[in-house]
Order: sequence, then structure tokens, then C-alpha cells
Amino acid sequence: MSSETVSRFEELDAGRALGDLSPDEVTEWESLAQEGAMDQTIDFDLLATELELNHTEDCALSSSLTKRLEDTIPAFSATIKSEQSATGQIISIIPWLGWAAAACLLVFFNLPTGNDTQDISAQLAEAKAELSDKEKTIADLESAKQELAKLNEKLSGELATESGKIDSLNTLIAKLTEKLPLLQKFESLIQDESNTQRLEFASASDPYTGLSGEVIWNDEKQEGYMSLENLAVNDPTKNQYQLWIVDPERDELPVDGGVFDITEKDGKSIIPIRNALAINKPVAFVITLEQPGGVVKSKQEIVVALAKS
Amino acid sequence: MPPTENLGQKDSLLLPRIAKGDEEAMRKCIDAYGPLVWSIVCRRIDQRTEAEETCQDIFTEIWKFADRFDSKVSKESTFIGMIARRRSIDWQRKQSRLPTLSTLDGLPEKVTSSNFSMGSIDRADLWEALRKLPEDTLDLFSLHFEKGMSHDEISKHTDIPVGTVKTKLRRGLIDARKLVREFSDLKGADK
Repeated sequence: MSSETVSRFEELDAGRALGDLSPDEVTEWESLAQEGAMDQTIDFDLLATELELNHTEDCALSSSLTKRLEDTIPAFSATIKSEQSATGQIISIIPWLGWAAAACLLVFFNLPTGNDTQDISAQLAEAKAELSDKEKTIADLESAKQELAKLNEKLSGELATESGKIDSLNTLIAKLTEKLPLLQKFESLIQDESNTQRLEFASASDPYTGLSGEVIWNDEKQEGYMSLENLAVNDPTKNQYQLWIVDPERDELPVDGGVFDITEKDGKSIIPIRNALAINKPVAFVITLEQPGGVVKSKQEIVVALAKS
Repeated sequence: MPPTENLGQKDSLLLPRIAKGDEEAMRKCIDAYGPLVWSIVCRRIDQRTEAEETCQDIFTEIWKFADRFDSKVSKESTFIGMIARRRSIDWQRKQSRLPTLSTLDGLPEKVTSSNFSMGSIDRADLWEALRKLPEDTLDLFSLHFEKGMSHDEISKHTDIPVGTVKTKLRRGLIDARKLVREFSDLKGADK
């Protein structure tokens, strides 16, 4: 073997330890190694590892990985012990036999069938242990997946319910926010103005029997409100409520007090009076149901409620 | 400190016990060297599942080849680190579609050359011996082994062609082996 070949093998072997051999170099290394004259060692591997370890800081293993590693122990321990047991039997018998018999035994135990059986048994044990481990992992993952699906379904339901509650609360807040200033004006007109007139509404026809409420009016301020309960919700595309104010000193015909809608079935609705003309001494307030947008002069076909002094 | 670092205390070594099928020694080995193996694996493999699979393969090899360990040749941590390093490098090569390098299966029973003995050399002494290497080689060693740079990364970092980096690292490793052999001879002569 030439010194150049030895030197080349040495260089490739160092490259093998560094992990930087190209495919061609791997082939070349294998070819030179198979020639047999080369010293195949792990010198460079140990040296490279020693150089790397000098700068490597330990990282803790996770408990799940530690468990996985520990789970492989019994299978390997069994394999090693089984191999040693077979070797031990040979060694204990050999001293009792002559050289010829020992030679025969060695030939016997070197027969490929015996070793093959041991190897295959060990591989089988190893593969079975690995298979069992993987099956357990898959079962655990399947179970975890199902749990996650259930949890996801439950959380989606809860999320939808809570979102619905939030929407309802937002709607309620919007309604109350809209109603509050009107209510304050209504109460202020009663409490702060002594000349404010208060009249109770009564239903004027059968469909509106349950209706209750009142109307307040102040001549000086030309301001008034209706407070109505149990008045049916109307569809503004089909019809609207309209208030009429009867003021005989002004005119024999009632004055338009504005068109309005009832949007809530329950609770008290506060409606501001939007009188088209100045009112002096009203004696009655009448609510009728009219076409959308109201009318200039009511035929009073559907009289809903009446309040009179 | 892993038990193997107590040089000269052969009873505390785990690999000879593992070679006899001692399950308790296997457990202690996972406990003592698991973090070392994991750190070597994580330097090269950034996908957790793959890193865990490789770690499991490494311990399988450690159980399998525990009988090849020789405390005169290397420390136990170095032997285990070597198996971890080789497996991790093989994983990287597979990702780059390069042929993997042989595992211990492909090596003969006699795993080191004559006069190569790092088992009884203190790590500090070893590094002192390696200081005789040329400055540029030590610089490349630092970038590769300490900072974990690939050949390409070293080439970009130093403006040295990648082929030269490769050759210099290989030559550096060959020269380092000579120094270890000389150091082993000297230690042998002292005794």
C-alpha cells in the first residue's frame, strides 16, 4: 500500500468524521476500506466529538422523551442477557472437552442457523417493542384528538351563546340610551313646569283594550309627550300611528300632533308631540291608525285611544 | 458530573454494566447522558419530532455497542457523544440527499489505532496539546466545533473558499490525532 493511498484514506476518514464526504468520496472511502490494509478506526470521530463537547452545554430532556427512552430498556436488557446466556454456556462446557471436541463445538456454534436465530429473535423483540410503543403513542394521540374535538365543540357552543348574550345586551343598551333623554324631558316637564296639563289615555276601540298611558302638554313651552303601554307594535310599511290635538279655540278640526311608531311590545314608550301648529288650550288628544306617513285630515276609521279633560 | 468523568474509578462506569444488560445502569445512563445527547442532537436537528426519534435511535445504539467502549481510549461521555454526533450528522446528510456514513455496525471490533488514547487525558491537557496546531486551524476548529458553523458558513464568514475550509479542517483533524498520539506516548513514558 503506497503512502499516498494511506494518506488519501486518512484524509477521507477525517472527512467522514466531520460528516463532509461527497457521494464520490463515500464510494472512494468504502473502496479503500474494503481493501483491508487500511486501519479502520474511530479515532477521528472521538477527537471531533471531544472538540465539540468542550463547547456543548447540556439541555434537559423532556419527561415524555425520558419515559420513551426508559420504555425501550426491558427489550434491550432481555436481548443482551439472552446473547450472554448463549455465550456463557459455550464457555462453561469448553474446558471439559478436548481440543478436537472444542473445535467441533465452535464450528457448530458458528453455523449460520444458530446465530441467525438469535439475531432474528433479538430483532423481533426489538421490533415488537417498537411497534407496541408506536401503537400506544397512536392510541394516546387518537384519544387526545377526540378529547380536543369534544372540547372544541363545547367551546364553540358556549362562544355562540355568549356572543348572542352580548348582542342582546348591546341592543338593550342602544334602546335605553335612546329612551333616557326622552324620559328625562318627560319628567322635567311634569316636575319643573306647574302649568303642564296631564290627561290619561283610554282605549277607543276593541283591539286596543289593554292600552294605558297619559299625555302631558305645556302651552307656554309648546312641548308635550305621550307615555304609552300595551299599544300594539305597528309595521311602518303598512301603517303608522298619528296623534291629533283638539283645540276648539284654534279650530274645530284637530291639529296634527305627529306620526309615530311603536317598536317594543313590552315596556313604556315615550313619544314626543310634534305639533304642526301652535296649540293654546287643548281639550283632547286622539290617536288614530293611518297610512304610512300619516294624513292631513283623518277619516278616523281606526281610533286607537282618546285622552280628554 | 456524569459518572464516567471520575477517571480511574472503573466501578462507576455505566457502559460496561449496560453491556451486561444491567437495566439500572441503562436508566442512570439516560439520566446522566440524556442532556448531553439531546444538546448534540439539537445543534443539528431543529424539528422536535425528528430530534426525539434520533435521540431514541442513539440510545438504541448506545445499548447495542456498549461493549465496544474502552475506558483507556476515551471517556464514557466522549464515546456516547460520538454515537450521538454520528447519528445526527447522518440525519443531516439524509436531509441533503447525501449518502449516510457508516455507523459502528460497519466498523471492526478494534475501533482505535495504536497509541491513540484519550481516556486518561484530562480535557484541559488535551486542549493544551492541541494549542500546537497552527493558529488558522484553531480558528477553523473554533468556528466549526464551538460555534457549530457549516463549511459554507465558515467560507462566507472568513472569505476562504469552501474547498479550502474542508481540506484545512480535515488536515487539522489529522494533525490533532498526531498530537494526541505524541501526548499518549509521553504519558506512557512518564509511567
